[in-house]
Amino acid sequence: MNRDLWLGVIGLVLAGAYYLMAADVPESLLSDAVGPAGLPKIYAYVLAGLSLVLAGRGFAPRLADRPPRAESRGKGPPYVRREIARAAGLLALGAVYLAVVEFVGYVVAVALLIAATVWYQGGVFRPRILLVAACGAALFWLMFVRLLGVQHPPGIWESLL
Amino acid sequence: MAAAFGGVAWGIFGGALPGISPSITMALLLPLTFGLEATTAIVMLASTYVGAEYGGSIPGILIRTPGTNAAAATVVDGYALKEQGKAGEALGISLYSGFVGGLFGLTVLYLLTEPLSTVALAFTPAAYFALGMLGLSVIASLSRESLVRGLLAGVIGLMISTIGTDPVTGLNRFTFDSPELLSGIPPILVMVGVYAIAELMAQAGETGWQHAPRERARIRFPRPAVWKRIARPQAIGSVIGTFEGMMPGGGGAISSFIAYDQARRFSRHKEEFGKGSVEGIAAPEAANNTVACTALVPLLSLGIPSSNSAAVLLGGFLMHGLVPGPMLLVENGEVVNGLYLGLLAANIAMVVVGYLVMTPCLWLVGQPRPYLTAFIFALVVSGVYAVETSLFHVGVALVFGAVGYAMRYFKVPVLPMVLGVVLGFMVESNYRRALVLSDGDHMTFIQDRVSAGLLLVAVLFVIGSLLRHVRDRRTRHAGR
Repeated sequence: MNRDLWLGVIGLVLAGAYYLMAADVPESLLSDAVGPAGLPKIYAYVLAGLSLVLAGRGFAPRLADRPPRAESRGKGPPYVRREIARAAGLLALGAVYLAVVEFVGYVVAVALLIAATVWYQGGVFRPRILLVAACGAALFWLMFVRLLGVQHPPGIWESLL
Repeated sequence: MAAAFGGVAWGIFGGALPGISPSITMALLLPLTFGLEATTAIVMLASTYVGAEYGGSIPGILIRTPGTNAAAATVVDGYALKEQGKAGEALGISLYSGFVGGLFGLTVLYLLTEPLSTVALAFTPAAYFALGMLGLSVIASLSRESLVRGLLAGVIGLMISTIGTDPVTGLNRFTFDSPELLSGIPPILVMVGVYAIAELMAQAGETGWQHAPRERARIRFPRPAVWKRIARPQAIGSVIGTFEGMMPGGGGAISSFIAYDQARRFSRHKEEFGKGSVEGIAAPEAANNTVACTALVPLLSLGIPSSNSAAVLLGGFLMHGLVPGPMLLVENGEVVNGLYLGLLAANIAMVVVGYLVMTPCLWLVGQPRPYLTAFIFALVVSGVYAVETSLFHVGVALVFGAVGYAMRYFKVPVLPMVLGVVLGFMVESNYRRALVLSDGDHMTFIQDRVSAGLLLVAVLFVIGSLLRHVRDRRTRHAGR
C-alpha cells in the first residue's frame, strides 16, 4: 500500500470513530439548533470525504497532485524501520520521565532525562554526562521553580527531609 | 526607561520558554509591580508584552519550538533558514521586523486610539465567527504541496478543538471521562508536540549528525538588499496586525498566519516560502509585534481587553486605581502619555536586549547535538508542565509528538492543523451563539456588516488559493 492509501484508510477510521463518539454525545435541554454534536459530525463527514479522495488516489496514482520531482527528491527524514524505532525510543524516554517524575522528583527526573537522552543520542557514557545533566537539572530548577514559581513534583525527597 | 528595559528582558525570557505565554509572563510580574508608581508599573507590564511577543520567535527559529502561539507562523521559514546555517540572519530579520511592526503599531495606537475604538464595539458573535473563518481560509493557501492533505490536517485540527466542554450547553465531548480534558487541549501542547518533539524524534532517527556544522555565533541584521525585499511583507504584516490587534479575539496568532499567507501571495519569490524565505519571517514578526501595541487600542479607549495579555494589563491598571475607558484619557492623560513613551522605549529596548541575548542563544544551539537534543527535550517537558502544572499535559504533548512525526512521514502539512486547533473553538462557539441570537437564521452572518465583510474577504482568499492550485498543477503537468 502506498502512503496515499494508508493515509486515506487511517483518515476513514479516524472519521468513523470520531463520528460514533459524536453520535454518543447526549442531548441537552439547553441545546441550540446545532447542538454539541452538530459541527463534530460535519467535521467527521468532511474528513471521511477527504480520506476517500486520498484513498482513491492511492488506487489511481495519476490523479494525485504530487509535488514536483525536484522537490520530492529533496532532503527529508529517511524513515526506514530502524530510524522509526530510534525516534520511538526517544519518545519512550519521555514516557519513562513521566512515569518516574512524581516518585523521584523533578530535579532528579530531569537530570536522568538529560543523561539518558545524551547517551541514547550516541554520546559515550562518561562522568561528564552526569555532571552536565546535574548542572542542567539545577538550571531548569532555578528557572522554572525558583524564578517562575512553577511547582514541579518534589518527589519522595520532600517527605524524607 | 529602566522599567521598559526590565519588562522587555523579562518578556523575552518568558516568551522564549515554551509553555509560558505572554499573559503568564505578565501575570508573574503583576504582583511585583504593586509597589511601583502607576506609570512605571503599566510601562513595565506593557513592555513585557512587547518582549514576549518577540521572544516567542527565538526558540521557533533555533529549535523549531514556538515559544508563543503567535510565533507558529515564523517557525516555518525561520527554522528552514537555520537549517541552512543562516540562524543569525533569521534572528536579525525577526528582530528588525518586530521593531518595525512595533513602531508602526505604536504610531497607530497614538494617532488612532479614539477613532478606531469603535471597531471593537461593532463585534457581534457573527463577526467573531467570520473572523475565525477568515483565519481558517488561509488553510487552502498553506497547503500548496497538496490541497487535500492540507484540508485533512485542518479538519483534524478543528476536531481536536472540539475536545472538552461544549461552549453552549456545557456538556462534555470526547473527554473519555478524563477531568484533565474538560478544558480542552491547549494549542501550545499541539504546537510543542508537532513541531518540537516531532523534530527531536526525526533527529533521533537520523545518523551521522552528531557533529553538526558550527554556525557563526552572531546575529546578523539584514543587508540593504534584504531590507528592500522585506519592506513589503513588513508593511503587509503591520497593516494586518493593526486591524487584528484592535479586533477582540484577533490577537497575534491569527494576524501572523494571515500576514504570512498574504506576504506569500504578493511575493515575487513565492517558491521560497516554506524553504527559508526572509519574507516568510518578516511578515508574521511585523504582524505580531504590531498587535502588541494595537491590542491596547480597545483597552485604553473602551476598557475592553481584546486578548489574555490585555486582560492582565487591565489588571495592572485596576491594581493602581486606574479604570481604562473613555475617561482614562481625560483624567489620567499623563499615565497614557507615559505608556506611549514607555512603549517607544520598549521597542528600542527590544532591539538592544534582543541583540544581547542572541549571541548566547546562537552559541547554545551550536553545541554538540546529543547535548542540545537532551536540553531541548528537558526544556520542552518542563515548559509543557508549566502550562497548567499537569503531567497529563506532558503526556498529551508526547502523543502529539508522535502525531507530528507520523504527519511528516505521510507528508501532511502541520500548519493547517495548528490553525484548526487555534481557531476551532472560536469558530464553533461564535457560530452557535450567533444562531442562538438569530433564532437559527443563517442570514445573520450576511446581515451583520462586519461579518459579511470578513466572510467576503475569506471567500476571496479561498478562491484565490484554489485558482493558484489549479495553475500550479497545470504548470507541473506541463513540466513533466
